[in-house]
Amino acid sequence: MKRLLAQRALTAIMASAMAAALPSMAAADDRVPKLTSTTVLEERDNPWDMAFLPDGTMFFTEKCRGLSVRLASGTVNALLGMTGSKGYPSTADDLFCKGQAGMQGVAIDPDFSRNRFIYVYSTSLKTAPGSNRLMRFTVGDDLKSVANRTDIVEDVPYKPLASDHPFGGPGAHNGGRVRFGPDGFLYLTTGDTHNGVVPQSPTLLGGKVLRMDRDGKAAPGNNPPAGFDKRIYTYGHRNVQGIAFRPADGVPVAAEHGPWHSDEVTVLTNGGNGGWDPRPNMAGRGECPGNYCGYSPNQREGMAPAERVKFMPMTDLVTYPNAMPPAWNNNGLSQGMSSAIYLTGDQWGAWNGRLAVAFMGIGFGGTAVGMRVDVLDIAADGKSVKSVTTMSMPMAVGRFRSLVQGPDGSLYAAVDQGEVYKLTPN
Amino acid sequence: MKMPALIAALSLLMLQPALALEAGEPAAGQTRYGANCINCHGKTGKGLAEFPALVGLDGVHVAQRLTRYRSKEELGPNSAVMWSIAGELSDADIANIAAYVSATFK
Repeated sequence: MKRLLAQRALTAIMASAMAAALPSMAAADDRVPKLTSTTVLEERDNPWDMAFLPDGTMFFTEKCRGLSVRLASGTVNALLGMTGSKGYPSTADDLFCKGQAGMQGVAIDPDFSRNRFIYVYSTSLKTAPGSNRLMRFTVGDDLKSVANRTDIVEDVPYKPLASDHPFGGPGAHNGGRVRFGPDGFLYLTTGDTHNGVVPQSPTLLGGKVLRMDRDGKAAPGNNPPAGFDKRIYTYGHRNVQGIAFRPADGVPVAAEHGPWHSDEVTVLTNGGNGGWDPRPNMAGRGECPGNYCGYSPNQREGMAPAERVKFMPMTDLVTYPNAMPPAWNNNGLSQGMSSAIYLTGDQWGAWNGRLAVAFMGIGFGGTAVGMRVDVLDIAADGKSVKSVTTMSMPMAVGRFRSLVQGPDGSLYAAVDQGEVYKLTPN
Repeated sequence: MKMPALIAALSLLMLQPALALEAGEPAAGQTRYGANCINCHGKTGKGLAEFPALVGLDGVHVAQRLTRYRSKEELGPNSAVMWSIAGELSDADIANIAAYVSATFK
């Protein structure tokens, strides 16, 4: 009897404890996390991207310097310098930076523990007049060197000469993000290089999202239109600097810079067209400066974004009715949308499973600068957003260039100003 | 215009930025720099992304460039952005920014 009473008492205690816990658990699911910030790198030179090993080791690129690694202890080892870089154990003198171009994305092979492969995207002068290359290296066991360079993609266009456009110097619009998807394939995002014919070209690799194996060969399931390079997963993009994968099904989602209007987040479909076509004498347009309508009309002056979009849409659903519609267009504004990452894990509370999107900020023609990170709740059909929330940052904001979720579940954010922050939800 | 008058006019033009620089207040320039320039040129003036460094620039040069951008003169690939930014600056703002940049980013 005593045992029965004790069991009933225990059951009652457990029940009341569960009842007490349930409301708080429900509240936790709706909790908007409060962030704390730790500076893990500072005074670097335009840190562009990061990639993690499971133990917290963080590889990172600097646009005009090269590739380095920050060990979990905090020690930084330089690995591969670009031309003119000092303090690196080896340099690749064909790698250079100019304007927006330079060393950009980095990714770690999912099977790194076995093959020690790392992938780096950079501008190169190996072939005239320069190109963007995706290179594969093997990382030394002591994390102090890389070797065995293999250029697995050699022919992403580079803009070698200045043109009559805003930001019209050499090196414009290279894309640059490199990520492995949950399907095991390597995704590379590229840009239109201020060249009107590039995005819709079946063979030029700019303005595309490529999907490949670790040797740079086309992923077998790619489904571009007939006559297209089989490495192309999607085409018709402007300058994609963000790609993330929907946790529920692994579908890739791109984030790209808009042309004085309409930064876009787009849920990608295999073989799809992003609908960016800045050629002159298309869609009712006439001639444009440098045969590129990307900033037209009135490319030197401020103009209402809603007027610009009528002339040069980011996604031209009239000319290309089957183009992939954006889930979100930053309310019609262009503010330098760069990286994107899905936040995952219970620590993110209400933001678990939502897309974090970074903005570098650029103010022109009355648009607010807008340096920030937004959190998007994208509708299941991928054609709209249910909510957009701007992160309240615990540190000074900067030109947010890269977002990566580390193995500790925190969000790591690189800013052009030189810092990499660890943002931990509480 | 006769030659002496032309020389006098040119001299005056050349002197204007220097005079403006002399009148510039670095402290006020720092505030304006923080509001208008820091997002692209950085807190240490080393430049960010495709935006150039300002380190080591002479104040007269900075004032002249800002004045020319304000007049919508084409001075490079980022001119359209600079027209927008410099267009909001007064003579005093330009002088103050030039004084701050030349005194700080050495």
